[in-house]
Amino acid sequence: MSLGFLARTVAKVSVCQHVQSLHTGCKLLAAEKALLMKLRKNTGYTFTNCKKALEKFDNDVTQAETWLHEQAQKEGWTKANKLEGRKTKEGLVGLFIGNNEAVMVEVNCETDFVARNEKFQQLVKNVAFASLAHRQKKDQAGYVKNFLSTEDLSKLSTADGVSLADQVALAIGRLGENMSLKRAVALGVPAGWHIGSYVHGDVGTQTELAMGRYGALVVFEGGKEGEEEVLGRKLGRHVVGEAPESLGNMDDLPCGESETRLLPQTFLGDPSRTVAQFLRGQQARVLDFVRFQCGETVNEEK
Amino acid sequence: MAALVGLRACLSALQLSTPNLLHSSFKICAVPLSRRTFAAEAKKTYSRDKPHVNIGTIGHVDHGKTTLTAAITKVLADAGGANYKKYEDIDNAPEEKARGITINASHVEYSTANRHYAHTDCPGHADYVKNMITGTSQMDGCILVVAATDGQMPQTREHLLLARQIGVEHVVVFINKADAVEDKEMVELVEIEIRELLTEFGYDGENTPVVIGSALCALENREPELGMNAVLKLLEIVDAYVPLPKRELDKPFLLPIEGVYSIAGRGTVVSGTLERGLIKKGDEAELVGHNRSFKAVITGIEMFHKSLDRAEAGDNLGALVRGLKREDVRRGMVMCKPGSIKPHQKVQAQVYVLSKEEGGRHTPFFSNYRPVMSSLTWQINATLTLPADKELAMPGDYTSMTLMLIYPMPLEKFQLFALREGNQTICAGVITDILTD
Repeated sequence: MSLGFLARTVAKVSVCQHVQSLHTGCKLLAAEKALLMKLRKNTGYTFTNCKKALEKFDNDVTQAETWLHEQAQKEGWTKANKLEGRKTKEGLVGLFIGNNEAVMVEVNCETDFVARNEKFQQLVKNVAFASLAHRQKKDQAGYVKNFLSTEDLSKLSTADGVSLADQVALAIGRLGENMSLKRAVALGVPAGWHIGSYVHGDVGTQTELAMGRYGALVVFEGGKEGEEEVLGRKLGRHVVGEAPESLGNMDDLPCGESETRLLPQTFLGDPSRTVAQFLRGQQARVLDFVRFQCGETVNEEK
Repeated sequence: MAALVGLRACLSALQLSTPNLLHSSFKICAVPLSRRTFAAEAKKTYSRDKPHVNIGTIGHVDHGKTTLTAAITKVLADAGGANYKKYEDIDNAPEEKARGITINASHVEYSTANRHYAHTDCPGHADYVKNMITGTSQMDGCILVVAATDGQMPQTREHLLLARQIGVEHVVVFINKADAVEDKEMVELVEIEIRELLTEFGYDGENTPVVIGSALCALENREPELGMNAVLKLLEIVDAYVPLPKRELDKPFLLPIEGVYSIAGRGTVVSGTLERGLIKKGDEAELVGHNRSFKAVITGIEMFHKSLDRAEAGDNLGALVRGLKREDVRRGMVMCKPGSIKPHQKVQAQVYVLSKEEGGRHTPFFSNYRPVMSSLTWQINATLTLPADKELAMPGDYTSMTLMLIYPMPLEKFQLFALREGNQTICAGVITDILTD
């Protein structure tokens, strides 16, 4: 096979010698081809770039790989600038619950195909942990609710010192779609309070985060011993499903189907009770909640 | 028939939902041209001289799916098989409505020497799934577009996963932008890689046809080898590689019963629209549903008070059946070729939950929810079970689910149905599997 290949290459070279002289490098030999395939498989960068890298470093795979990684950042930015302004309506809501703290982020992309890709999910994870680290740095006591906008998020960096803006550019370069860091919220609660959560449409990622199209965090206190997690999940599920806009008071009277206050709403999964009645039964009190729906337009949240 | 087809296209163009017509066997031919084009050519009739095939394109947003579609129409327009649609005319993925559901999809039609094609392109996974559920254009095959410059993207895996999910058996690869790559051997590498990936996803990677070309060249009349000729070659291969779907007429006949009458001196007449196949006087038939089953012989067929010897799929008819009493038959039963369709009680389905804007629920529902399932001409209660990893189904979701009917009704794979509550349609779905308890 390689003989035939050589013969072909020779023939081609003789035919298009004038073309050859125009661009650097000669036609690929079988060995180089295998190398190129390997580099592409290992790094995932485009064939064109892999070939450039191999030519540049005379088929030294290690150097080529390093160069490709450096190059990717630069190309990511070029691509990001080119794609800027394209609509990003799909994406994922990522949610992580820590010890007395939680973070929820939304990252957008153009198609739901990309949202299902693990490279994108890795980005969501990085954004979530960067936001969480940012909150921890502040070291505030008591209840903390920290909203981060697109601009705030771009300024953050992950633990290894790479800024999120750079990481987004890198992902754009890799996946070829416009992306945006839409928003994030990081919560910290004092001891004795709990954070309940629910993510709907979980895509089942390999990461520690739950990711889906809807996410909710509910801050509450009380609840029966050992059942806080189940209670939190039920409350989170209610917030995702019924989309309340405000908290309301325990004694508010429900005003029908269009009720937008959480407490007087009919409890999801138990139409005989309101949320407030359900909470009394559990001896719990909801203090705050946040709901993210992927792709929704954000109204001023403060 | 042409009139009916025209009507269907017209309704689609007006973005009305046309459930009845969708249920008819003319699923084809509904190529909702953009409204503008339609107005100009309102009186053009669809000629049924070539077999119809539905195909689609999948691939990364920037790899030239739309350019390829435009190039196909351009190349075929020269041969009189299409209206040339410019890139700008196609690249809109307008919102359309099918069975009350909003789908983003662009449709283009064209004919090769042998076939008529409806070409669908959707921006997202969700849209392709909705397309499948509404049955608007079941894809018989698809063209995977990959740019030679980039090679496959990380999300190409997700594209192939989708193709598997919506049941596309035949994939043809078009390696686009070959003009932008100096080194032809690079293109070979792209090809090797995509074949490997296809094999990984259970397709026949070795023998999948791969065409190398440049849609842009075809549009700009440059380098005919990569341009026009490559597009022609692609079409030739699609013609040969994607098999023709079985025609509705060739399938065993099925008549969902809408009404039953007793005519003095003659006997029992069942009426309805023939879903598929054809019936002749003297054919044996089986009437199934509502826990009953009878054999009978068709002794007469009538349409518009005129008797006829045979009726075809799509005909609205009355059939005189011998050997049955009026009380034996009820609306919702089906009259079919004996043994061709069986009643089942438990099925697996893929379902789209209508959003509030589409007239669906505004709150989620859980497992054990009991809506009315309606399919063909029957409606009965069914209990649904969501998959284990899904606690609730939100409006706007698409999900799989198991449905348990209160008693067996005629059901088969790929049958479309709706779930209703009161007078509200809350889900549209398609049966993906028959389960035994």
